[in-house]
Amino acid sequence: MDSTDDPIVAMWQRRWQRERNARKQAEVILEEKALELFEASKLLKKNNENLEQIVDARTKAFEKSQRRLEAFIRNLQYGIMLENENRKLVLTNMAFCDIFSIPLTPEDLIGIDCVAALEDVKYLFTEADEFVERVGDLLAKRELVLGDELSTIDGRILERNYVPIFFDDNYIGHCWQYRDVTQIKLAQEQIKLSEEKYRGVIENMELGILEVDNDGNTVRAHKRFCEMVGYTEAEVLGKHAASLFIAPVSKTVFDQQVEIRNKGGASTYEVQMLRKDGSLMWAVISGAPIFNTKKEIVGSMGIHLDISERKKLESELKQAKIIAENAQRAEKDFLANMSHEIRTPLNAIIGMAHLLYDTRPNKQQIEYLDILKNASSILHRLISDILDIAKIEAGRVEIQNKPFDLIGLVRTLQKTFQMRAKEKNLEIECMVDARIENWVEGDELLLNQILLNLLGNSLKFTEKGHIGISLRLLKRENKQITIEFKVYDSGIGISPEKLPLIFQKFKQLDNNKQQKYRGTGLGLAIVKELIELQNGTIKAESDLNNGTTITFQLNYTDCGKPEINHLPAPTHISEIQTAQSLRQLKVLVVEDNEMNQQYIKGLFQKWNIAFNIAENGSEALKKAQEQNFDLLLMDLEMPIMDGYNAAIAIRNTENINTNTPIVALTASALLDQKHKALEAGMNGFLTKPFSPQQLKELLIKHLPVIADNIQEEYNSPTFEFSEQLDTNSLNIFYDTDIEHACEMFETFLESVLPEFTDLYTYAETKNYEKLYKIAHKLKPTVAMVGLTWIEPMLFTIEQACRDKKTDSEQTIKQNIQNINQEINTFQPILQKEYKRLKKFCKKYKP
Amino acid sequence: MKGLVFSEFLELVEQMYGYEMVDKIIENAHLPSSGSYTSVGTYSHLEMFELLTNLSKEVSISVDDLLRLYGNWFFDVLMNGHKRHLNNLTNSFDLLYAIEDHIHVEVKKLYPEAELPSFETTIINPTHLKMIYSSERKMWALAWGLMEGCFKHYKEKAAITYHFLVSDGSKVQFDIHLLA
Repeated sequence: MDSTDDPIVAMWQRRWQRERNARKQAEVILEEKALELFEASKLLKKNNENLEQIVDARTKAFEKSQRRLEAFIRNLQYGIMLENENRKLVLTNMAFCDIFSIPLTPEDLIGIDCVAALEDVKYLFTEADEFVERVGDLLAKRELVLGDELSTIDGRILERNYVPIFFDDNYIGHCWQYRDVTQIKLAQEQIKLSEEKYRGVIENMELGILEVDNDGNTVRAHKRFCEMVGYTEAEVLGKHAASLFIAPVSKTVFDQQVEIRNKGGASTYEVQMLRKDGSLMWAVISGAPIFNTKKEIVGSMGIHLDISERKKLESELKQAKIIAENAQRAEKDFLANMSHEIRTPLNAIIGMAHLLYDTRPNKQQIEYLDILKNASSILHRLISDILDIAKIEAGRVEIQNKPFDLIGLVRTLQKTFQMRAKEKNLEIECMVDARIENWVEGDELLLNQILLNLLGNSLKFTEKGHIGISLRLLKRENKQITIEFKVYDSGIGISPEKLPLIFQKFKQLDNNKQQKYRGTGLGLAIVKELIELQNGTIKAESDLNNGTTITFQLNYTDCGKPEINHLPAPTHISEIQTAQSLRQLKVLVVEDNEMNQQYIKGLFQKWNIAFNIAENGSEALKKAQEQNFDLLLMDLEMPIMDGYNAAIAIRNTENINTNTPIVALTASALLDQKHKALEAGMNGFLTKPFSPQQLKELLIKHLPVIADNIQEEYNSPTFEFSEQLDTNSLNIFYDTDIEHACEMFETFLESVLPEFTDLYTYAETKNYEKLYKIAHKLKPTVAMVGLTWIEPMLFTIEQACRDKKTDSEQTIKQNIQNINQEINTFQPILQKEYKRLKKFCKKYKP
Repeated sequence: MKGLVFSEFLELVEQMYGYEMVDKIIENAHLPSSGSYTSVGTYSHLEMFELLTNLSKEVSISVDDLLRLYGNWFFDVLMNGHKRHLNNLTNSFDLLYAIEDHIHVEVKKLYPEAELPSFETTIINPTHLKMIYSSERKMWALAWGLMEGCFKHYKEKAAITYHFLVSDGSKVQFDIHLLA
């Protein structure tokens, strides 16, 4: 039916068509929607599956986490009880059951009512009601509370935390955490006790502790420190400690400590500190850095000890020490000075005694002189000993190592003592190991002193038998040798109980038997000191009544004979003579008497003979070792070393003058002196006073070649001195040397005479020191112009100045007056004599 | 525009004027859909205006009045079709207030392609509601009719006044005063 003419039908057809179209559209949409729905469903299903997987995984993870949490809680040291908001127990652990002694497992407890349970457990606590009340309080407030401490009736201490649990601001329960802290508490208590103990100890030890930070600001000041400085802790906290407490004088010391501290070092030092009241205090501070747990320095701690008292004492002690030392030094100085002071006049005595030998004494006078000489030399030795020990104690003895003739030294001593021992009829034995060379390097003087002392002792204590000295080579290493010295005797010996005392100072073995042996008791002590000073050892063996042996060892260096820059010693007589004729002759004059020196000097100058002068034997020995002489004129009596000893030494030691003739100048013509001189190795003697002619003859006898030189002087004219003067002494002095006499008279008149007025001046002002000196000075001059008798007057003045006796002043006055008188009388005579001398010289000696 | 608006419109035209009138306004129009509408389909709103214009000519009633009339009728259709969703809305103001933020949101979920007007609703006081209609479709009269349908449904009385905020009717303010 394509179309119709009926409009109604057509409309209905259109309507039907529209409805059908609409239905078809709807069907299409429906189909699309169904498809969409299917796809959506499929997607949904897939999503669902994914979702399920995710949920599954999350559930598993959650379970795992829960298990972990449960295990964690179960094993926690804390007793845990988790309650929900309805106070039903959700979770607990074994620790909880243990703490409260619940005989159930944690699982059994899940779900129980905690309100009821509280009533059961409250009796476990010492304060049950307070416990319940506190729980109620915590639950009401729902605020985190940590560290509640609870005591149980069985003596434990529990620590409890209350932790309310919220979820999205909603309260969903809470957790109780209990912990048994009994042990910790006990430990803490003990630590506290221990801390208190040490704090107590430190407080009681009076040690003030101060802690500062790295800027030096006070962090902590302990009680005792505060007491020390007078501040309260609050006053010093945060303040710079050094500025507050360190006195300005100690700033430098303190700053050095800060340096040390910054490097991490500890140190102890003394400083002066300032108290609050401004007073000063001495403190010793032991400071150490403080480290934190990272080993960084965060400050330092100082332990202070108040040492003001000690410092005071120290300074007093120092003062006392200074005083004591001063006193000791004064004492030593006094001793040294006194010894020296004693020695000076003693030397005068010895010197004078020796000079007296030259004054033609008779036999008895010589005996007296011998006693005087011996007594004074004993006194001299005593003083020397005291000085020596003082020198040793002061460490002023210097060892002077030089080559010396060791064997010569020993032989000289042997000879010297042989002579001294003669009167006792003793032999001095001497044995020297053949392996020992003559020349060694060491201290000759010290060895000489040691042996002199030991041999002197032996001689002193031995009356019969023998004395001996022996040398043995103990050891040789290259040039180093060790020599054992033995000095032995057959003397009185020492008892075994006294033996250990002999090397002690001032220990004389003073039993009655030994009264006759006198000394300082220092001899052996000095010997021991001198040996030890040279690193040697000494020992003594003795048999009472049978003798003593002293053995000591010393080290020396072996050395050849040193080169001496002089002509070698001639070996044959003919050679000597030839040599002498070819060169300038030289004589050594050994004489202590100044007048004699002048006398000989004058003659030798006149005869054109070269000479040297030695003041004593020791000087002579030294000179003899240095250069060759053709003749030695040797006075016998001299201080320091006499002529006998000098001759022995020259003859027995290796030197260039071993064979040089020595002529003794003796003051007496006594035969035993001459024998002694020959024994000592001298070749002849000349008795003083001697005339120029006598000296000439002697020279010619010993040195024939000299004769021509001096022969011509024989016929020179003579000068007659005025009879008013002491012609005898003038002739001895000047002999034919009138020129010399002229010079001496001139000097006396011009320079010496005016000085006599000084005598008067010093006597008036009572300046006896000066007076002594001037008298002493003038004394030898008067004899030179023939006023010999004034000499004793001057001597008396000298003596009076020293004596200072009540009548001294009178004596001095009287003598000065006498001297003045003499001088006044003789001045014109001297002037006249001087003019005559001048005239004579002009005439004969142009 | 959803097919339901067309099918219900033609249903109303048929009830009021018989199918001859429906046939006439369709036949006089040039419709891409040929006047066959299913409620689940979607059609151009221009077709609606053509049908309205044709009807307006036939029955001498203005297009806006026709839309207002249709709104009165259409509210009940919508209400009956979605009763279970709208159960909790117990008075007209609740419903009007819910249109923009709830009802249209739900409609969009069901029909993503639906083009809906927007309403800016303000409660001035418990008896005065202000609603501003905005739509390029300019079917403000349909909205008016729907509001009237709503009051009728809840058996409430209200005085609805309106004025154009934009002269072409794309933005219109309604003031609704609830009457005791």
